[in-house]
Amino acid sequence: MKGQMGIGGMRWRFVEAAAVLLVPLEREVVLGDLAETESSLWRGLRDVLSLAARRQLALWRGWRPWAASIGLAMPASLFLMGWSVAASGAVASFLGEPAQLTALGLSLSRLLLVTCWAWMAGFVVSSVSRGTLWASALACGGPCLHCLSLWPGNGLSFLRLLVFLVPGLFGVWRGRRDLRLGLSLAAFLATAGALAFLISGKGGWMYSSSLLWPGLYLTATAKRGPV
Amino acid sequence: MVGEFEYLILSAAAHLDEEAYGAAMRELIETTGGRTCSLGALYITLDRLEAKGLVETWLSAPTQQRGGRAKRMVKVTGAGAREARKFYETVIRISRGTAWGRGRRNWLPEDVA
Repeated sequence: MKGQMGIGGMRWRFVEAAAVLLVPLEREVVLGDLAETESSLWRGLRDVLSLAARRQLALWRGWRPWAASIGLAMPASLFLMGWSVAASGAVASFLGEPAQLTALGLSLSRLLLVTCWAWMAGFVVSSVSRGTLWASALACGGPCLHCLSLWPGNGLSFLRLLVFLVPGLFGVWRGRRDLRLGLSLAAFLATAGALAFLISGKGGWMYSSSLLWPGLYLTATAKRGPV
Repeated sequence: MVGEFEYLILSAAAHLDEEAYGAAMRELIETTGGRTCSLGALYITLDRLEAKGLVETWLSAPTQQRGGRAKRMVKVTGAGAREARKFYETVIRISRGTAWGRGRRNWLPEDVA
């Protein structure tokens, strides 16, 4: 019939591309239904996109996407950018003037704290709401892009601003795989979060609590007993 | 009590019995119910019914007709059948004495009569 899609045709490819928005199992079922009924391109696209949109809307009725994006990704990006600059700046100045060993120790410990915290934030964002990672990425990327646009410097200093990105992305990847951590690792990260809170000690209670809750969440949901 | 669309889905699943799955249910709802039914609405409602324990769903083995893809099969549970019956009886009861139910046929508006 005119307007209908054959499996493997160009129109079918569009529908398959749109179906990437669905989770794998549901994608298979929906594409199977569309293949069987030989729907038109527009009907197929409408079916897939409406299901994806409804799924997203359903997710946003709960607290998890809000906690992950507004409650963590956004404040964490601001906090981590500041810490990345401070830690990498201090290490760079030590390399220029190697005599100050105490300063190097302090800088390295800050760098370690940034790495731990970024990994923890990435893990929590991903494990709390993996279906809305795109929104968390936007909430984190928005402030980063804004700061980069204001940042006076060259490519290397851009990197100083984004030292946290690599451990953060690694944390996201782990969070997609494992929803919970072992108790000892969770307690270690929660301690690192509390240390960061104590050392920074500014920004008001809302900002500070956004630094503390990921560690508490990880500890509360950690796997107890033999793993 | 279930909603109207939930009732349509329960009825379609009951009609199709062992052949109840997404595409077949959609076709039945569209041909019998005279309304369009998107897969989005269908699957979201199925999830809700399953969460309430009114249907059970599972994946079938992949079939060639569907490009080697599985079906999401649907079965109405006992609780689902009871809820559907409750909805049906409520509609029948409240429709008694109306022009579109039994009696008072002369009350129908002109465009319906």
